[in-house]
Amino acid sequence: MLRFIARRILIAIPTIIIVSVLVFTLQQLLPGDPVLTMAGEERDPEVLAFLREKYRLNDPVPIQYFAWIGQVLQGNLGISLRTDIPVLTLILGKLPVTLELAIFAMIIALAIGIPTGIVSAVKKGTSVDYAANVVALSGLSIPNFWLGILLIMLVSVRWQLLPASGFVPPSEDLWLNIKTMIMPAFVLGTGLAASLMRHTRSAMLGVLRSDYIRTARAKGLISRVVIMKHALRNALIPIITLSTLLFGELLAGAVLTEQIFTIPGFGKLVVDAVFNRDYAVVQGVVLCTAVGFIIMNLLADILYVLVNPRLRHAQ
Amino acid sequence: MMNTSALPSMLDHTRRKSESDAAHPLLKVENLSVRFDGAPAGINVVDDVSFAVAKGRTLCIVGESGCGKSVTALALMGLLPTPPARIVGGRALFDGKDLLALPDRERADMRGNQTAMIFQEPMTSLNPVFTVGDQITEGILRHRKISKAAASERALEMLRRVRIPAPEKRMRAFPHELSGGMRQRVMIAMALANEPQLLIADEPTTALDVTIQAQIIALIHQLQKESGMAMILITHDLGVVAEVADEVVVMYAGRVVESGPVEDIFADPQHPYTIGLMGSVPSLGRRQGRLTTIPGTVPPAELMPRGCRFSPRCPFADQRCVSDPPPLIELSPGHRARCWYAPLELHREPIR
Ligand SMILES: Nc1ncnc2c1ncn2[C@@H]1O[C@H](COP(=O)(O)OP(=O)(O)O)[C@@H](O)[C@H]1O
Ligand code: SF4
Ligand SMILES: [Mg+2]
Repeated sequence: MLRFIARRILIAIPTIIIVSVLVFTLQQLLPGDPVLTMAGEERDPEVLAFLREKYRLNDPVPIQYFAWIGQVLQGNLGISLRTDIPVLTLILGKLPVTLELAIFAMIIALAIGIPTGIVSAVKKGTSVDYAANVVALSGLSIPNFWLGILLIMLVSVRWQLLPASGFVPPSEDLWLNIKTMIMPAFVLGTGLAASLMRHTRSAMLGVLRSDYIRTARAKGLISRVVIMKHALRNALIPIITLSTLLFGELLAGAVLTEQIFTIPGFGKLVVDAVFNRDYAVVQGVVLCTAVGFIIMNLLADILYVLVNPRLRHAQ
Repeated sequence: MMNTSALPSMLDHTRRKSESDAAHPLLKVENLSVRFDGAPAGINVVDDVSFAVAKGRTLCIVGESGCGKSVTALALMGLLPTPPARIVGGRALFDGKDLLALPDRERADMRGNQTAMIFQEPMTSLNPVFTVGDQITEGILRHRKISKAAASERALEMLRRVRIPAPEKRMRAFPHELSGGMRQRVMIAMALANEPQLLIADEPTTALDVTIQAQIIALIHQLQKESGMAMILITHDLGVVAEVADEVVVMYAGRVVESGPVEDIFADPQHPYTIGLMGSVPSLGRRQGRLTTIPGTVPPAELMPRGCRFSPRCPFADQRCVSDPPPLIELSPGHRARCWYAPLELHREPIR
């Protein structure tokens, strides 16, 4: 098992290198001269030259890459061109916010997706199943930004139940923090709930047809035990993997939702950085989310083996 | 796979059932009919099936693949997938209670308790994510008010009884760590853990290596003798039937075509299909060793004849056979055949 984990981590390393090269290269292709942005109204060639020198923008691209990756490995993601704050500090400042949002959203997704998936599998072909599928399909096809705006207009503007924006750190006011997180987490969570529901449903349908479910019933076990223990435990194996991957996507993909609810997380950081051509920050954020995503993939693989006795022993 | 080589020596001992057993069977199935949604109207996968089995006795159901043996067994256990399956008629009196009419909960209370079943597919019949010990213990705890430790002890004892080597170690094993034969032993241990009065074994050895098959049958047979339970054994193997059966039910295309005491069925088969099965077709003047040598196959449901379902393959078939379903005729005490011309030697000369 430990060897499997070690092997799996080794495989992840080249992926991370490729990602870092990609991140760096794409960055070079972005339009706009960051020095001009930084200098603002200033057009003094000497100042511009000084800035280019300071941020090593004159070096050949491969040199720039190695200089950058060398620093990254030491935990130095560079300095924000715009704010002069170390990128790592910026990211670590935003990470808890995005993490909180992602965890919230995941809880909502799991709490909705898995039970509805189970029910619609067990009640396959009935109106309950049909309704759940229609709702799930709508959930998948409604864009998050639209649902977000709709919620703001109804819940915040018309009914005035929850604040539309104005993030407050949990350390300051936990209750207010939760109130500001509910809607964005709901928007993100329902999107995922739909795909979790459909995957849970099909996994359960497959499992419920298997011989060992018939054996469980032959023992006289009541339906609830057959479904919630014997079937679910098997159906959850692929669902755990999927959830881990979805969580990785959440970390990276909440940009639009964070924008709509003005949540100061990764999304806002990256959007601001792109608009300001703040290379270092964009690089840092994209690299971090990519690495985070790869780690979640790794975790998904390991969990898949851990929860699956057949594989656990084979490794 | 039909094996008739071992027949003669095994039929020596007589197994005539006593009068009292016949009068008080443990399970009495009367006119059981099952249909699947989407099948043509009036075509039941199991049609008007009746038989009885008494305490301590073994009833073997034989017939080629697809003739409704498993559906019959699952219907009795209440394990049919409904839908698409639907029990459209009949009763199954167990100790006087109609199993088919019991509420779901009472039915579940009996499953794995008074009635138990072993399946054809040992490789897939155990839950891959739970240990063998947990799976047996769970069934015991479901029906007995005892402590977890006592149930676990009982599970271990069952593993010993089905002669699994190193049972303490196997308790903690997952199914994939065991061979097919060992898994079937686990299934047997699980089925017998609550000392059922009736065991249904649906082709318990078909999926196993030939060398293991005899061991498993011998084990089941011995455990049955020890416990005195009734058994319904579904099998392809006529050698096994000769060895363990008291009564035999021969099914063809969902119907019982012949039933009776084992020695009558082997010594004096009366239905043309049974005669084909037995590989001895005296009136045709030649021997047929295997079931597959009966020319033709079971017609699909859409083409099922209204009359005798065997008529497309029967060398004696005539117009009445095709249009009118033959009745089940009692030829001697307990020996019945569903054929217009039974007993054949009085009625028919072979046509081809
Ligand atoms: N779930 C199902 N849906 C439709 N038809 C089925 C189903 N299960 C079994 N059948 C039909 O019932 C018939 C009898 O099957 P079965 O009892 O399994 O045969 P066997 O005698 O080999 O055990 C088969 O012809 C099969 O087509
Ligand atoms: S009823 Fe007719 S067709 Fe059917 S088995 Fe008898 S002789 Fe053959
Ligand atoms: Mg079968």
